[in-house]
Amino acid sequence: MALLEATNITKIFGGLVAVNDVTFTVEPGSIVSVIGPNGAGKTTFFNVLTGIYKPDKGRVVFAGKDITGWRSDQIAALGMRRTFQNIRLFGNMTVLENVLIGMHVHLHASIWSIIFRGRTMLREEAKARNKALELLSFVGIADKRDELAKNLPYGDQRRLEIARAMAGDPKIILLDEPTAGMNPHETAEATQLIRRLRDERGITVILIEHDMRLVMSISERISVLDYGSKIAEGDVQAIRTNPRVIEAYLGKGAAGHAA
Amino acid sequence: MTTSTSSQSLWQRVTAPLSSGPIAYGFLALYVLACSILLVTNPRTELSTDVVFVLFLLSMLVAYRSRVAAWFKVVLGVFALGVVLPYFGTLNPFYIDVATQAGIFTALALGLNVVVGFAGLLDLGYVAFFAVGAYAWGIFSTPQITEINPAWSPVDPVMFYPFLIIGLILGLITGVLLGLPVLRLRGDYLAIVTLGFGEVIRVVANNLDRPINITNGSQGIRAIERPPLIIVDQIRNLGIVADDNRLYQLFFYYLVLIIVLLTVIVVARLKHSRIGRAWEAIREDEVAAVAQGIPRVRMKLLAFAIGASFAGVMGVVFASKQLFINPPTFDLLRSINILAMVILGGMGSIPGAMLGAIIVTMLDLQILPRIAAVLREAQAAGAPIPRQFDPTQYQRLLFGLLLVVMMIFRPEGLWPDERRREEQHEVEITDEELEADKTAKQAGADSGS
Amino acid sequence: MAVDATVAPTTARRSLGEVLGVVFGPVGQLLAFIVGSAASLSLIVVVLALILSSAQPDIMQRVVIILPQVIIDGLVRGFLFATIALGYTMVYGVLEFINFAHGEIFMIGGVVGATVSFLLVSAGALESIPPLVFILLVVLVAMAFCGMLAVTVERVAYRPLRGAPRLVPLISAIGMSLILQDLARLVMTNTPLGFNARYQTPNFGQPIQLFTMQIGERSVPVILSPRDLIFIVAATIMLVVLNYVVNATKLGKAIRATAQDMPTASLMGIDVNRIIALTFLIGGALGGAAGALFGLRIGTVNPYMGLIPGLKAFTAAVLGGIGNITGAMVGGVVLGFLEAFVAAYLSIFTAGNFSGAAYADVAAFSILILLLIFRPSGLLGEATTQKV
Repeated sequence: MALLEATNITKIFGGLVAVNDVTFTVEPGSIVSVIGPNGAGKTTFFNVLTGIYKPDKGRVVFAGKDITGWRSDQIAALGMRRTFQNIRLFGNMTVLENVLIGMHVHLHASIWSIIFRGRTMLREEAKARNKALELLSFVGIADKRDELAKNLPYGDQRRLEIARAMAGDPKIILLDEPTAGMNPHETAEATQLIRRLRDERGITVILIEHDMRLVMSISERISVLDYGSKIAEGDVQAIRTNPRVIEAYLGKGAAGHAA
Repeated sequence: MTTSTSSQSLWQRVTAPLSSGPIAYGFLALYVLACSILLVTNPRTELSTDVVFVLFLLSMLVAYRSRVAAWFKVVLGVFALGVVLPYFGTLNPFYIDVATQAGIFTALALGLNVVVGFAGLLDLGYVAFFAVGAYAWGIFSTPQITEINPAWSPVDPVMFYPFLIIGLILGLITGVLLGLPVLRLRGDYLAIVTLGFGEVIRVVANNLDRPINITNGSQGIRAIERPPLIIVDQIRNLGIVADDNRLYQLFFYYLVLIIVLLTVIVVARLKHSRIGRAWEAIREDEVAAVAQGIPRVRMKLLAFAIGASFAGVMGVVFASKQLFINPPTFDLLRSINILAMVILGGMGSIPGAMLGAIIVTMLDLQILPRIAAVLREAQAAGAPIPRQFDPTQYQRLLFGLLLVVMMIFRPEGLWPDERRREEQHEVEITDEELEADKTAKQAGADSGS
Repeated sequence: MAVDATVAPTTARRSLGEVLGVVFGPVGQLLAFIVGSAASLSLIVVVLALILSSAQPDIMQRVVIILPQVIIDGLVRGFLFATIALGYTMVYGVLEFINFAHGEIFMIGGVVGATVSFLLVSAGALESIPPLVFILLVVLVAMAFCGMLAVTVERVAYRPLRGAPRLVPLISAIGMSLILQDLARLVMTNTPLGFNARYQTPNFGQPIQLFTMQIGERSVPVILSPRDLIFIVAATIMLVVLNYVVNATKLGKAIRATAQDMPTASLMGIDVNRIIALTFLIGGALGGAAGALFGLRIGTVNPYMGLIPGLKAFTAAVLGGIGNITGAMVGGVVLGFLEAFVAAYLSIFTAGNFSGAAYADVAAFSILILLLIFRPSGLLGEATTQKV
């Protein structure tokens, strides 16, 4: 059974059809990419999946539940986490605290046990801290746990965002351009990390990316959006040779040229 | 630059040994003791006593910041606030009243700090929740209740204690009722709506003497009951001569002290829990916080309700202590007053809110009247000061200036929350950089043309 | 500078018809809302009276007798809120910031007007100047003073905070509002003006009898006081002029551009700081004029009279869709009518149990709260989506 099934998703802003009748399926344990030119509606599509926007049409089924119209936080609690294109960390909180925030839905200490420092609450906090540290070392920034998030170098901020997303024990993580603005070395490291997410933790990954080398090297399936519509879907080879994709990226005429 | 750093190091060179190690214990003990002796031997109401009183309170701050063992701080605190101050209060009731008032506002400031500082929700109608608690006890403890229904009669004064809890619950309920609809709003709209709500509560209190007389309208409620003093006979048996009023002053002082202590503990524990982290995350970036599974409205509601419930409890205490309440007691200025405390001390900072509350209360009750007295003397001596000018009547001006100046020069407050402080300075630096960039561009453009 | 008010001959001129359309289109919209809200509210009270007439036979008569007067009152209140609301909405449009001190600018307009009239009285000149000259004098002086004051407030208390988190300038504005209240009080109580300053005016002549209503046996005259007339006329002129400035001049275009997108406007050569100062100048001048006219109408001014009208004007701005100039006017008149009807009819319909005058404020704030919850974009505003 598919882990995530989005059917006929349409999202309209005013007169602009940002996402047009997109159907999209993700199998558990896979790495899937969504590519397309700038303004193709990829981030809007992510925002619909994660509940920031409500779709005007269509249905989203995740982990066997129809989550269409759910609030963002409910979807996140169900196990779908994301990172943001323009990194949205809690800059004035420490690295460790950022990860702890990601764990919010798994912490259940009641307000009374917090006020009275109940045993369960203390144990829960200690466990959360250990787990957060473990996640930080997984992404490789455990030594920076007490720094403020905003003081981290760019690449580490991306890593922290991934660690924060992992903290919710998600079934799936949506990465919105995780290597934007990175140099080739950093990109290679990020690619490595994404692969380990799936291989070592079993987390399904959906990726929006512009770096074609990364996309082609890592994805098992690729969907291509253009002007809000899905114009192609398939494995790396199929996408690489699809004339409509080449046209969308390089313009008319290029397709025939490449073929 | 160099002078400032050297003076800084001089300051550090002086304070470092005094704030840690064995010298610190001696210094603090000596400091508190000296202030205590000066206070107790000089119990008149005059400027020198004011100065000693401030120094005395300052000792608590110094002790808190020093690196000494926790037990030592507790001993000092219990000695100063639990023994010396109340004893001094029996000698000069004015100061114990100031201390009690400061305590009430400390608890209110701590409550508002949860809303404004932790969760980042600007609440300009906070005093409404205070009014709810105050009116609850005011109505139920006096014959006012008979006005509502002739069959009902006032509750026994001993019910004051359960009413502390009832006040808390009433504040909580009002907070949730107001919060549910408005907490979806953007921050600045929220400020105006809460302000409107505060005004509505006041107008309603002012007009609910018809058709059924519930609040006694603008007349207010008089002769509000105080709880019976339980151990009064034992105290008198000890040979201490004290009339009821003195004893009540002490009673309210200790009661407020205990409530403030409890409030500090609750607030501090919340701040460093999953709930406090969630509030901070919402304050920093709502969208990102929600994407982590934090239910935005529920967490905001929680902050609102917790802040409101503190105000509800304090309302009950306040009504009982003042014996009289009327609608103007709960006007917008009072809300602004509490907000000024939070902002002066530092939004999100627990010691900051306490410091702010103490400073503003002292400003209100001691410093302004003192300045007024000085001005009157100068006037009598022929200085050209207008006769009508009375600084105690210009609190709006003072709080207004305080808000503007703090926002422009020190938005993080006098005693900032450690992390918040960095955040605000960051903004300052980038602004300066922008300014520098702009002037550079301007210069370039000028030379170019 | 890109924002010179003179229109260069090379720029395409709009035809006169176009300009008239741009300027009077909103006025037409405003008129529609005036007639619409007056008519629908009148209908509601008449229907209510019909329902209650079995219990209180004379209620219909009592309702209808005061109805024309209530409508006039609503119109005056409406224009008052509209002129103040413009200041909120213009500043909000440009800076996305609630200028909390704007109610105090309004109050100071009233105080300035009272001062001018006081000076005229002391000079013994009040009775000898024509009423029209007097009105022009107080309004223009108040506009100049309050416009400059608003610009100063922006420079001192808001500009240093631009770019800071949203709540920071708002808190500063609250502080500024308190400062202005007490400064006005300080000045007033230490001069012959006093806390409640009398606002003396020349004789404006007799009340104008518009028409007489026949209700049963009684004939009830419908009266418009000259002061109300002055207020309505002056406010209308200001609204039309403002519409012209914002919608048909180059300056207005620069203001709208800045409101749309400040960085881009600045790249297009618009001096954003100057436009912001001008926005405060215009908003402050309108607020000042409203204050001067309001004081003239009620006869006294005091330093605390700005807060509540200010809050209601903000409600009006939100009601119309904040940031939208026509919306502010529409919101103002709708709120004005609502309030006038509540104030006049609440005690009639509740048999005197609830005083209308007291609960009118509650009604206004309840509208604000309901509105922000159910339609935060207001009557004329567009829904906006948060960008992620």
